[in-house]
Amino acid sequence: MSDTLLVIEDNEQNFYLMRFLLEKNGFTVMGAQNGRDGIRMALDHRPGGILLDIQLPEMDGYEVAAKLKTMKELEDVPIIAVTSYAMVGDRERILAAGATGYIEKPINPDTFVGEIRKYLEKGVGG
Amino acid sequence: MHPHGQVRKGSVAMGIRSAAQRLHDIFSSVLYPGIFFLVFLMYGISGVAAEGRILKVGVYENAPKIFVSESGGAAGVFVDVIEYIAESEGWRLEFVPGTWTEGLDRLAAGEIDLMPDVAYTPERARIYSFHKQPVLSSWFQVYARQGSGIRSILDLDGKRISVLDRSVQQEAFTRLADGIGIKYVLMTLPDYKEAFEVVAKGQADAAITNRFYGLTHAGKLGLEDTAVIFHPTNLYFAAPLRAPRGILDAIDRRLEDMKNDSRSVYYHSLKRWLSEEVRFKLPSWVKMIGLVAAVTLSLTLLGLFVLEKRVKARTRELMQLNLEMEERIVARTAELAVEKDKAQAADRIKSAFLATMSHELRTPLNSIIGFTGILLQGLAGPLNEEQRKQMTMVQGSARHLLALINDVLDISKIEAGQLTLSVASFPLRPSIEKTVHLVAPLAEKKGLNLQLDIAPDVETAKTDQRRFEQVLLNLLNNAVKFTEKGHIRIDCRRKDGLYLINVSDTGIGIKPEQMSTLFKPFHQIDTGLTRKYEGTGLGLSICRKIVEMMGGDITVESRWGEGSTFTVRFPGERRNTP
Repeated sequence: MSDTLLVIEDNEQNFYLMRFLLEKNGFTVMGAQNGRDGIRMALDHRPGGILLDIQLPEMDGYEVAAKLKTMKELEDVPIIAVTSYAMVGDRERILAAGATGYIEKPINPDTFVGEIRKYLEKGVGG
Repeated sequence: MHPHGQVRKGSVAMGIRSAAQRLHDIFSSVLYPGIFFLVFLMYGISGVAAEGRILKVGVYENAPKIFVSESGGAAGVFVDVIEYIAESEGWRLEFVPGTWTEGLDRLAAGEIDLMPDVAYTPERARIYSFHKQPVLSSWFQVYARQGSGIRSILDLDGKRISVLDRSVQQEAFTRLADGIGIKYVLMTLPDYKEAFEVVAKGQADAAITNRFYGLTHAGKLGLEDTAVIFHPTNLYFAAPLRAPRGILDAIDRRLEDMKNDSRSVYYHSLKRWLSEEVRFKLPSWVKMIGLVAAVTLSLTLLGLFVLEKRVKARTRELMQLNLEMEERIVARTAELAVEKDKAQAADRIKSAFLATMSHELRTPLNSIIGFTGILLQGLAGPLNEEQRKQMTMVQGSARHLLALINDVLDISKIEAGQLTLSVASFPLRPSIEKTVHLVAPLAEKKGLNLQLDIAPDVETAKTDQRRFEQVLLNLLNNAVKFTEKGHIRIDCRRKDGLYLINVSDTGIGIKPEQMSTLFKPFHQIDTGLTRKYEGTGLGLSICRKIVEMMGGDITVESRWGEGSTFTVRFPGERRNTP
């Protein structure tokens, strides 16, 4: 599996935070600030996993996840939602849209990378 | 008064009428459209030059409320009403035919001044303005073949139901039926006519239409209305948002007068379109034959006619009474429905606000908590002792802020009725053990003895595990927080189908006068002191709400200076209570 992860996140600080933690743990990280760029980069680079924020400009995370899932070349790439939405049903909704895992923000820096690894190993089938 | 109005008034006047009048009726049913058309043209030409207000009114196909008659003129209840008002107010009317959506677009663009038969909704009220007194009230009604035995919505369980494709009826019925939990097969059809026909042919068991369509067409196909009615709506003339208020006020004033007078144009129009016309609606060739037949038969049948007229007059009176009653009942129901719509809209705004708040506050907090953690882990380089101490304080404050946000959100969700439990079976013992382990490090640090005793018969629980653990953790955190020495004891057992969980401590205890406010929001008991004990003061009120939703309760016993025992009781298998 590729050690490259794609992080789709529009908040600069939160992107830096995740990239820092993931790079410290041996991953290569690339970032996209919106869904359209994210989908393009996913197709160009075929990352080992995609970390996806839900609240994104223009196209939201639900839509991005659904679009990614329709692409044959990305069918074995797990999507992990990392989101500050914590209302009833948000988790179910993003999982239904095709995400493998769901991590609630604020992330816990002590356990974040471990959780990501767990979801990556679990793979798409879930 | 224009000639058209006079003719029609004559034709529907109540009382005993002579055979000659009946002939006149038949004549006028042929003549009206022609006269109407002339009037229509006259308005079109003279309206521009004449003094006074010219109002453009949208016309579309929705008989009998509003439609274009065979002669090309506007007709229907809404036309009668607005013509009468226009005449009284000295307005000139100009009818603009089109489809329903064209009409709404024209209204929004200000190209027409009034659009008839528009149901009030809060969404529409943002685009259009409405007067206050409804012209008509409608509801959706279920129609079935005669003798179907359908009496209530529950009788629709397992039935095939035809409905207009993508209509409000479809949406409202689906919501209602799914809410009640009945099963049904929905047949969606492109128009009401087909929706009725499939029922008549036995391909479906029931059809849903608005009551006006049903009233006009059900009888012809051998269908009857069932007692299943739902979704009342008030129907109005809608005007552009910035329309002069005077027009709408005048409509209200005139409508109110008309509704108070049982002999007004309003009731005549209702009768004309909702009962009489339906009964006597015949193809024109039949009318011609009828004309000839009437001439020859009128003398011999005079006696019969008189009798029939009396019966009809009585029938009409009864129908009118019935209509008035219906109007009143449904108007009241509709008022309540409008209020409910408003309340629901406010609720939706509140929920949307909560979701946004949750997101907006957590996003910056994510980076504060995240980077503090990174620095403390030494991932960004070593920290000296003072730096570590200060970063730990930042971390503590950030976590406290997060707890506050979570608690405030929980309370808001509870108050908005948004907090729902996701109930599932889970083994209770490991759940309790896991939660107790979370507070073990802090208890150990304070030198407190943590005792856990779970009875052997404690097995599965059926409730919301995450919320249960939230309650238990809250009680445990409180116990550790308010106890300086001694022990904290947790025991769990079953009794009478309930699970009982006690959390006892040897802490500061609670004064009797503090007991009453203990479970109320924002009432941490040590506020008078120097706030030695941090916390949001929301925890216990959230706990109580959650436990109540679980179908249980939470109680406390305490002696000041000796300690407290909190007891949570909840059903082992959650009963089916809402």
